[in-house]
Amino acid sequence: MKGLLTILRRSPRAAFGVGLLAALLLLALLAPLLTPYSPTSQAFGTWLKPGGEHLLGTTALGQDIWSQLVYGARLTLLIGFTAGLVATAIGTALGLSAAYFGGRTDEAINVLINVFLVLPGLPLLIIASAFLRGGGVWSIILVIALTGWAWGARVLRSQALALRNRDFVQAAIVSGERPARIIFAEMLPNLAGLIAAGFFSTALYAVLSEAALAFLGMGDVSQVTWGTMMYWAQARGALLQGAWWWVAAPGLCIALLGTAFALVNFGIDEVTNPRVIHEARATRVLRRNRAAPQAEPALEPPQPLLAIRHLSAGYVTPQGPVRAVRDVTLSVAPGEFLGLAGESGCGKSTLAFAATRLLDAPGVVFDGEARLAGQDLLALNPAELRRVRWKDYSLVFQASMNILNPVLRIREQVYDAMQAHGVQDRGRLEARARELFALVGIREDYLNAYPHQLSGGMKQRVVIAIALALEPKLVVMDEPTTALDVVVQRQILQEIDAVRKRLGISIVFITHDLSLLVEMSDRIAIMYAGEVVEEAPAHELYAQPKHPYTRRLMGAFPPLEGPRERREGIPGRPPSLAQDIPYCPFFERCPNHLPGTCDVFKPARVEVTSGHSVACFLHSPAVKEEAYAAD
Amino acid sequence: MPYLLRKFLILLLTLWVAVTLNFILPRLVPGDPVGAMIARYQGKLDPSAVDALKLAYGLNDQGGLLGQYFAYLGKLLRGDFGRSIGQFPTPVSEIIAQAAPWTIGLIGVCTVLAVVLGSALGLYSAWRRGQPLADALPPLALFLNSMPYFWFALLLLYLLAFKSSVFPLSGGLDPFLTPHSPTWWVSLLRHATLPALTIIVTSAGGWLITMRNNVMGVMSEDYIAFARAKGLSEGRILNRYVLRNALLPSFTAFGMALGFVVGGSILTETVFSYPGLGLQLYNAVTNLDYPLMQAIFLYIALAVLIANFVVDALYALLDPRVRDGKAA
Amino acid sequence: MPQTEPHARSTAKPNAADEPAPALILEGLTKVFQVGRSGRSVTAVNNVTLSIGRGEVLGLVGESGSGKSTIARLIAHLHEPTSGAMCLAGKPVPRQLRGRALTRFRKDVQMIFQDPFASLNPLHTIGYTLARPLEIHGFARKGNVQAQVSTLLDRVGLSPGASYAAKRPHELSGGQRQRVVIARALAARPELILADEPTSALDVSIRLDIMNLLLDLRDQEGLSMLFITHDLAGARYMSDRIAVMYAGYLVEIGPAERVIGQPQMPYTQLLKRAAPKPEGNLNAGGLEAPGEIPDLANLPPGCPFEPRCPHARAVCRAGLPRMYDVGAGHQARCILHDPELAAQPLLHPALQPHATL
Ligand SMILES: Nc1ncnc2c1ncn2[C@@H]1O[C@H](COP(=O)(O)OP(=O)(O)OP(=O)(O)O)[C@@H](O)[C@H]1O
Ligand SMILES: Nc1ncnc2c1ncn2[C@@H]1O[C@H](COP(=O)(O)OP(=O)(O)O)[C@@H](O)[C@H]1O
Ligand code: SF4
Ligand code: SF4
Ligand SMILES: [Mg+2]
Ligand SMILES: [Mg+2]
Repeated sequence: MKGLLTILRRSPRAAFGVGLLAALLLLALLAPLLTPYSPTSQAFGTWLKPGGEHLLGTTALGQDIWSQLVYGARLTLLIGFTAGLVATAIGTALGLSAAYFGGRTDEAINVLINVFLVLPGLPLLIIASAFLRGGGVWSIILVIALTGWAWGARVLRSQALALRNRDFVQAAIVSGERPARIIFAEMLPNLAGLIAAGFFSTALYAVLSEAALAFLGMGDVSQVTWGTMMYWAQARGALLQGAWWWVAAPGLCIALLGTAFALVNFGIDEVTNPRVIHEARATRVLRRNRAAPQAEPALEPPQPLLAIRHLSAGYVTPQGPVRAVRDVTLSVAPGEFLGLAGESGCGKSTLAFAATRLLDAPGVVFDGEARLAGQDLLALNPAELRRVRWKDYSLVFQASMNILNPVLRIREQVYDAMQAHGVQDRGRLEARARELFALVGIREDYLNAYPHQLSGGMKQRVVIAIALALEPKLVVMDEPTTALDVVVQRQILQEIDAVRKRLGISIVFITHDLSLLVEMSDRIAIMYAGEVVEEAPAHELYAQPKHPYTRRLMGAFPPLEGPRERREGIPGRPPSLAQDIPYCPFFERCPNHLPGTCDVFKPARVEVTSGHSVACFLHSPAVKEEAYAAD
Repeated sequence: MPYLLRKFLILLLTLWVAVTLNFILPRLVPGDPVGAMIARYQGKLDPSAVDALKLAYGLNDQGGLLGQYFAYLGKLLRGDFGRSIGQFPTPVSEIIAQAAPWTIGLIGVCTVLAVVLGSALGLYSAWRRGQPLADALPPLALFLNSMPYFWFALLLLYLLAFKSSVFPLSGGLDPFLTPHSPTWWVSLLRHATLPALTIIVTSAGGWLITMRNNVMGVMSEDYIAFARAKGLSEGRILNRYVLRNALLPSFTAFGMALGFVVGGSILTETVFSYPGLGLQLYNAVTNLDYPLMQAIFLYIALAVLIANFVVDALYALLDPRVRDGKAA
Repeated sequence: MPQTEPHARSTAKPNAADEPAPALILEGLTKVFQVGRSGRSVTAVNNVTLSIGRGEVLGLVGESGSGKSTIARLIAHLHEPTSGAMCLAGKPVPRQLRGRALTRFRKDVQMIFQDPFASLNPLHTIGYTLARPLEIHGFARKGNVQAQVSTLLDRVGLSPGASYAAKRPHELSGGQRQRVVIARALAARPELILADEPTSALDVSIRLDIMNLLLDLRDQEGLSMLFITHDLAGARYMSDRIAVMYAGYLVEIGPAERVIGQPQMPYTQLLKRAAPKPEGNLNAGGLEAPGEIPDLANLPPGCPFEPRCPHARAVCRAGLPRMYDVGAGHQARCILHDPELAAQPLLHPALQPHATL
């Protein structure tokens, strides 16, 4: 019930569909109130035109068409719903049994589904009803259900199979639940959306099939349904008489009913399958024109390659903005390896994607700038940005199953990054691709492979090779090895390190794993609740972490050597990023917090020793003014 | 190729199910179908036709059910579908041979057009999401897809043939034309236009929705985000990344859709008296011409199955994962 | 040539005289899966023999795909073993269990899954999820189910328990969900808990909390535990003993400190060198083992690690090495512990052996 309301609230299309459906249902239920005439009474003049007494005129036999329409809704809907129910019940039972019992049962049911899926439904329906003629409405419902269950069963089976392997079903089995309970209490409720969708599709199929059969004169044409109305209209030559409304009205009603079913389905799918669509050509930048954009003087002679200044970014959601990155200032020197760490949800990825204008909607940049070699990426238009991307900087995403296009050979996916930036010569492309593969340690013959033929580690190497294709000055890596095994991870990290030293590129490396970062990075920035709370050279950060959060984060990794002693995690959770945080964001979890200070003022990040800056009142009394609080 | 082999076995199995249904259905009818038929024709039936009918249902040799079944299978294998009752004594296969080209031509051309048109619009509607036209397309498509075929056909007939005589009212060709002459072609096309329009308009909506869903699914995949990050041009992303991947699931939807289109075309042909299998089936049903009816059903099933198999083979060709047996 | 191996004694409870039977004994456990329509045979678990003492935590480490989860699922009777025997608290467990016997067995062996987001049914309240095992295993008497549920929640650190019972999973954070999952496992009052990477889906900041909770429960209730992880440091933190898997084989087993401190099998050494170490230097000691875990449908004839092993000798190809005793309760599957065989020349001289045994 609550699910239904959510669907209606989130999907206007579904709401419209439900409204339409309700209207048609009311038509059927309230028929006696809507018309004074019986649908079968032949008491009126024949071929009357619409208007006056007879809203839609009369038939060739002198029946009132409007009465037929509203009363016809009853049987039509009954057939649609019942056939839909029966077919859905068959499909659900078979789909769920296939998924639950697996093995041979599944194989047999799968074949059965496939057989019924390709048997042409209507022709079968026609000959079946030709033989079962005179069986009345129920035999028609049965035949329709028997020819229409397979589609729902197919979808349900595949979803139920996926569900069967979900941990919560396994957990229920392990806790001793019986099969019936697992199917009905664990699996079935989670398939409700799908079952409803299957029901509406088969109901539509049933209504259309009934109409078709009736139109061919195969149903029980003495009953009033929208289908039989059209049969009689055609049989009496309604169109030749110019009485087009006799045909048009029932057909339109069927089409509307079908549309209602389909819209409800559409809405169910929209809400139960929310998708992040990657369509951002460039992240939206909302920043206001600064009074003096160039006010800050040029930095000291060794210009940073990437300079992020006062960057705020996040997501515009229906519940209000989420500020996932809050006034972050960071820079990366040429050839430097900058590590970015922090617990999940603290805004690392948002920072990386916002600074490179790759954040998908609803992500936006609220304010700040991100200069790559002096050029403000946030000021470029999409076309300019497309040219800069990959040539000046590239990205390595988290190793995922689907990071490479499954239908293109690896070779093409390596080539097209280069082709998009002007390298067209086949020979050069080929030579470069081979060179890149050697660089990341993959055999050249994998260029001809398809992505599914590669292991996870291989795929990630390919992605890194693609990222290096145009020798960008900066590569941003968002958890490139998190999903991989330690050994593979270490191999890839060593390759990354060797490449970077050889080509002199800068790397921004994001990970949860602080101990890994310490080993890899020149400098490390620690993020917490959207802010950079500490930044220092890697070994200094390891030897002398200053921020209480950094210290606790370090302590959260049990060591491989030394005494085995109990350690503590970091109790509590970070604050919600949907709110303003005009105090130290770590205050609630901080063991050293200073009441009256830390919960009232926000510490500013200041350099406490050379190259080591920290935002904590234990180290500096500097207070930070909230730049955006007045937004 | 194990994938195709599997598909082929399913094809054979489905065919067998169709044949067996064909055998069982007449025997499910309470009473005696032949008797009912004869009763209905009230002695107008030729005695030889009665014999043919009995022969067709294996009712004359009173062997066991199994014996009848094998005899029936044997006849089918020899291509003997019996004789039509309504158009006695024309062999059923002759009627089918005459009608089939019309239907195959109509459905073949219309399906291709509907798939191309629907998919293109679906791609547009997903790719340009947020624009008024793109967002108006799906509900419209749902409506078109929910219309009864014959109803839309009737409206077209009324508006474009009856009211304004732009197109002929019925039939497949004007009589007395030299085959393949220009006027013959014009006549052919004019007669086919309205049936074709019916099939295309009502089925393209389904393809639009399928394609739109597929495109949206593909656009949420990581490889699209990666392609964007690479700075690929819009055209290339659309072509090589979105379209290629979004078309693949359409192939699996094809089988079900084809069955539906075939059903629809039966009704369409009936409305326009288009001389294809649909009209023959309709006539057979109204004349209680059981042998013809059953043969047409078998023929349609076979054609759909073969078309499906071809599509499956194409699918295997286009998706490297299926080729390697990694996915079904 | 599978060898019979002396099974390792628990080092957790040293009072040897009247020591009760171990919580779990596995003898030659093997699982072969038929994959895909072509029916390729994949040997996910290969003749594994090990035991878990009462109140002991046995860590199981190895790369993904090495068969760790499959072992847990075999023990939990989610799969049926292809061969091998299993004893729970000294009593043999039949390979096929049905009906009442299965329910009784399920009471004693509970499982914790990796992903707390996936292992709770999103539609049920926490109270329902926790009440079910109580009802199934007959701990629920009228009226006191709720009290028991909230005690369970309190025990896993979710207090006040009653207020959590009414929530649904999506209202909880990852760490809280994992606590609920642990509470569900505790509800049946099991003898043995199988924890399949219970911390890898969690954020670093809460991993320790969950590990500490499991350790506390072990101490308080004397639970025995199989703790699966791919993180060596985590395994060392949690376990009394550690078993190392490679390509379905058990390749090393012994006291945690010894297996991590002085690994005696080249693969374990590789794992250790690959683990992140903040004080280390990325390139100090390259990883000399190229390639990846072998295809389980097509295993090398001898030592599974041979194609990657810098120490490999010709005998390593000839047959599966046996487990060698390499210290107190410590065994390793490597011929380098046989001085005679170790004297043979190297098979892959191109791979620089990094450390010697
Ligand atoms: N589409 C979105 N809509 C609303 N909020 C979002 C969206 N995506 C992310 N967020 C929020 O933004 C914050 C930062 O997310 P981000 O992905 O940058 O974190 P992260 O540090 O990369 O985490 P992880 O380590 O888990 O990758 C989180 O609080 C998250 O809930
Ligand atoms: N149900 C299954 N069917 C087929 N193969 C499986 C099944 N479960 C696991 N495997 C295979 O067994 C091997 C070991 O898997 P698993 O035990 O999950 O490894 P780990 O937990 O160590 O990562 C893998 O190659 C996996 O593909
Ligand atoms: S500012 Fe205060 S609350 Fe924040 S980290 Fe420092 S001591 Fe802790
Ligand atoms: S030395 Fe031989 S037995 Fe030992 S790990 Fe290497 S290959 Fe295996
Ligand atoms: Mg992230
Ligand atoms: Mg696992």
